[in-house]
Amino acid sequence: MSELLTGLLQESISGIALGCIYALIALGFTLIYKATEVVNFAQGEVMMVGAYVNFFFVTQFSGMAGGLNGWVFLAALFCSIIFAVFFGIILDYIINRPLKDEPVFSIIMATISLAIILRSLTAMIAGPISLVPISPFGDSTIQAGGIVISVLDLAIIISAIILMGLFFFFFNNTRWGIAMKATSEDSEAAQLMGIPVKQVYRMVWVFAAIVGIISGVLLAPRMALLDTTMSYLGLKAFPAAILGGFGSIPGAVVGGVILGIIETVSMGTLSFHFAWIKEINDIIVWIVLIAVLMIRPDGLFGIAKVKRV
Amino acid sequence: MKSRYQDENLKWIPILIIAIYLFPFLIKNATFSYKYYLYILNMAGIYIILTVGLDLLSGFTGLMSLGHAAFLAIGAYTSAILVDQVGLPFELSLIITPLIVGIFGFLIGFPALRIEGMYLGLTTMGFGFIVKRLIIALREWTGGSAGLQVSKASFFGISIKNDWDNYFLIYTFVILAVIIARRIVQSKLGRAFMAIRDSEQAAQASGINLAKYKMLSFFISGLFAGFAGVLFAHTNHFISTDHFDILLSIFFIVMVLVGGIGSIYGAVLGTLFIVLMENLFIPMFEESMAQIIHLKAGEFQVFIFGLIMLLFIIFQPQGLYGMWLKMRIYWKLFPFNPRKRFT
Repeated sequence: MSELLTGLLQESISGIALGCIYALIALGFTLIYKATEVVNFAQGEVMMVGAYVNFFFVTQFSGMAGGLNGWVFLAALFCSIIFAVFFGIILDYIINRPLKDEPVFSIIMATISLAIILRSLTAMIAGPISLVPISPFGDSTIQAGGIVISVLDLAIIISAIILMGLFFFFFNNTRWGIAMKATSEDSEAAQLMGIPVKQVYRMVWVFAAIVGIISGVLLAPRMALLDTTMSYLGLKAFPAAILGGFGSIPGAVVGGVILGIIETVSMGTLSFHFAWIKEINDIIVWIVLIAVLMIRPDGLFGIAKVKRV
Repeated sequence: MKSRYQDENLKWIPILIIAIYLFPFLIKNATFSYKYYLYILNMAGIYIILTVGLDLLSGFTGLMSLGHAAFLAIGAYTSAILVDQVGLPFELSLIITPLIVGIFGFLIGFPALRIEGMYLGLTTMGFGFIVKRLIIALREWTGGSAGLQVSKASFFGISIKNDWDNYFLIYTFVILAVIIARRIVQSKLGRAFMAIRDSEQAAQASGINLAKYKMLSFFISGLFAGFAGVLFAHTNHFISTDHFDILLSIFFIVMVLVGGIGSIYGAVLGTLFIVLMENLFIPMFEESMAQIIHLKAGEFQVFIFGLIMLLFIIFQPQGLYGMWLKMRIYWKLFPFNPRKRFT
């Protein structure tokens, strides 16, 4: 039994790391949803683009520096974030501006088509061969009381916490953050109060792109191979966001972590002990999603919306 | 009948039906590789049956489905199991399978009562993943991820040996499906669907039972998809879970959107457009592209589809059928050109 317990603990920590990535992706579309009521199905693809761009920069810089070291990774991260800023602005022009007042259906389909375009474009540019991602931490691990934690997981958790803290601070305490909140509440009223709504939208898309690209940078070393199937993980962040309550930032974080733990635990120890879990472990997030939507459609932290005619 | 389609010109419909039946003879004389084109047209026909059903659900009732490939999969596997393993005749499977798929649609309709828009899209998408996994899990009947061989069908004593025979079978059902869908749209049922699409609250206030009609919409859509599934299984003779990807569900929506969401003819047009693009025009581009850059098979095609969809949503939300209607109305009322006829 203790073997089961340590297994569960070990996988929980790995699950928290995966959950943090889900949470970051979920944060990306929560940001966009809060401000513009657009649901961005392409967030997973933004993450994938981030992983590829970062890989490109790492190989370029390590070629220039003549080897891999910490500075190479930092410089690559910095360049990826600059790329993300431009990427976000482009996405705002393509998706948000022309489709501002269209019905939900068209917007969802537009973001899905964007997702398809990004995925196939990446595959076309990167070529047919899968890449092997480079981790800045190698395979180093920390031992703590019979539990082995990989440094990479720890780094993911820490950087996710820092990012989320930054966002929380930004939304609640800065001028632009409050402007974003006001815009999401009622964009017309915000416009009347002198908030530059268009700039707020652009900023939101930029932030979402930055979060997406950072989550890609963090996720890539966890993958065995870097290819375009990575973007399907972005779809799994939707259950996370819905579990927490769509449009709520703490909800996205909690939902992401819960789902990450559920997924890794069901894939690991539990599937060795219970045969039936093995059959369902890769769809467990979707079962959770449907269950949540049936029982409590507003999620854990969501507020029920009353629709007016 | 007359009053129902009063504002439409129905004279060309018999001509069109005859043209559909004569078409294979035409291409048989025109090209040597007519069998290949017939196969493509058969697939297009199957997809038309499905997208017409999807249009009833998404375009007329306003309920989004990103899991229609799952309905197709259930239909295909159910029919394959019923015919090959249970031993039912194909004709009976054509009746039972759509009903079973319709019941699945009914089940998915339950969450649709509480959720809408994007949430429904995600639920149906999740349903698609779950169905795919279940098919693999039930490997005793479905053959798991290795796939399943399906026998050739025989329809009331006429055995469907090849694509030539299959063409007539499939297009008979396509014509039936389109006619039935148009009857549904013009009936009380269709008007209730459209009322729900336009405003749920207003529909409820005018005495439409939301639960009943939403479930019915899913059920009907499931029926169409089940029908398509049966034909799919017995046209392809081999089915595996790879056929029913999430991308296929998205393509179905693309077909409806490109054709013009909320019109039955639009769904037909869009499906033909996309299937012909996929099989005839894009491979030509892809060949010439492949000489410039190395491509994984299918990537370029997916890229083109994404681009088409995005451009249609942004610039032409009414789709191909909307374009045609606009042109027609423009010339009909030429000196007094209407503005904002379609909003």
